[in-house]
Amino acid sequence: MSPTEIHQLNFGPITAHAFNKDRTQVAVCPNNNEVQIYIKAGKGWNLIHTLAEHDKLVTGIDWAPESNRLVTSSQDRNTYVWNFDTETNEWKPTLVLLRINRAATFVRWSPHENKFAVASGARVIAVCYFDEEHNWWTSKHLKKPIRSTVLSLDWHPNNVLLAAGSADFKARVFSAFIKGVDQKPPPTAWGDKLPFNTICGEFSNGSGGWIHCVAFSPSGDALAFSGHDSVISIAYPGGAIQSVGLTSLPYLSLIWTSEKNIIAAGYDFTPVLFENTNEGWKLSRVIDVGKKKVVGESTAFNMFRDWDTKGISSRSNNDDSELNTIHQNTITSIRPYSVIHGNVKQFSTSGLDGKLVIWDLESL
Amino acid sequence: MSFRSFDIDSLDEDILAQDELFVFSNGVEITPENASNNVKTKGIEVRNQLTRGDTANALITAIESPPYGVHTIDAKDQNTKIVMDVLNSIKATDIPSLVKLLSREQQDILMKYIYRGMSSPDLYNSTVLLNWHEKLTEVAGVGCIVRVITDRKTV
Repeated sequence: MSPTEIHQLNFGPITAHAFNKDRTQVAVCPNNNEVQIYIKAGKGWNLIHTLAEHDKLVTGIDWAPESNRLVTSSQDRNTYVWNFDTETNEWKPTLVLLRINRAATFVRWSPHENKFAVASGARVIAVCYFDEEHNWWTSKHLKKPIRSTVLSLDWHPNNVLLAAGSADFKARVFSAFIKGVDQKPPPTAWGDKLPFNTICGEFSNGSGGWIHCVAFSPSGDALAFSGHDSVISIAYPGGAIQSVGLTSLPYLSLIWTSEKNIIAAGYDFTPVLFENTNEGWKLSRVIDVGKKKVVGESTAFNMFRDWDTKGISSRSNNDDSELNTIHQNTITSIRPYSVIHGNVKQFSTSGLDGKLVIWDLESL
Repeated sequence: MSFRSFDIDSLDEDILAQDELFVFSNGVEITPENASNNVKTKGIEVRNQLTRGDTANALITAIESPPYGVHTIDAKDQNTKIVMDVLNSIKATDIPSLVKLLSREQQDILMKYIYRGMSSPDLYNSTVLLNWHEKLTEVAGVGCIVRVITDRKTV
């Protein structure tokens, strides 16, 4: 098996992607109002469903592994929960009452799949849950003290705490406890009394810049975030924070692969591994160092031979615009692909080049 | 298309103003008088260090604790002048080793001043600044430039 699987699912950007539980299907948004679902077919993917309920660009997709439900967020200010109807073989949308007046920017299911959180440009996070009484998905707003668009979210493993990265240069940890839906959580390092909208932590990387991505460590006892100032920070309950300034461009997405490792990627087109060593967090290595280009001999003989055999001139054949890295443009999303004992062994990335890449950490 | 020129944010009561953004990026406001006085003392110290030939420390003193703030415009102008004097008095061959001496934070501040200097080509020599910019980018990378662009604590 090749260590890195590369799939070109779209020729424009992919704004979001999510796999189902057994990784046989993937939902992607090809930079428009549609969500496409592909099924694995040998080495490639076949399009089986197109979900076209949104009116504007789909900004986030998440696939709940156990309940097999999809949730999608869009710039049309709506979120749909999709249930698969096995009789008609179709995905059926259910509109969620979000009550926001700006675009929804991001969406994630909670670990227990009974709630999800929607980030939005309306300076709120809508925490959504199913209201049995009225038989619909409704929401409660996390509002204070957010002052700008929320760009990313991540759930704590206890299903209650929620981290958010915002364009007001702050990463925050909130309690998203919903009475009647959640059991009272055991005390965590972030606090023990957790009514809805408790601020359990507020962090800044110090030099401004939107916070593009946030992620809890597998235990939930640390929070990593990265902003547009090319700094990646790891924050701990109580306010301790460690920042690593980068010499490269900012990251748009990050995940923890274990308690001591973080993978981040963004405007540099390549995933990067961070490690917590004895001297603290540091950049360990660039995962996709890029392959050397094979430069063919450009002799007159080769040129005429190419004309003869391929009917093309060697100049158009020699595609100089191709970059050395696998991704040819900004990576906007990293997601765990296979997780064994809490450690991520494989992860998937998608970005502006329309590629979906599955990376194997062990063989890299 | 006249609706496009409406400032719709001003109709919203909860807007982020310039000085709030400054606070959100951990900026601490000081009065313009205090800032000017601090810069004056700094200027004297830097001049002493330069006459002693201690260029490395003169550079560090000059860029240390810049007069950040929304209203400290005079102090910023004065401090920029001090930094430019130091940059101009350092030999081109010494630049790479000096840049390596600086911490990550100091490199970021130096980059801020380089951009500040280049924004007034009538006052400061851009050739010198471009040389500094090149050498600093070699060490601190494009990440340093991104930090200067995003940071609301301007110099």
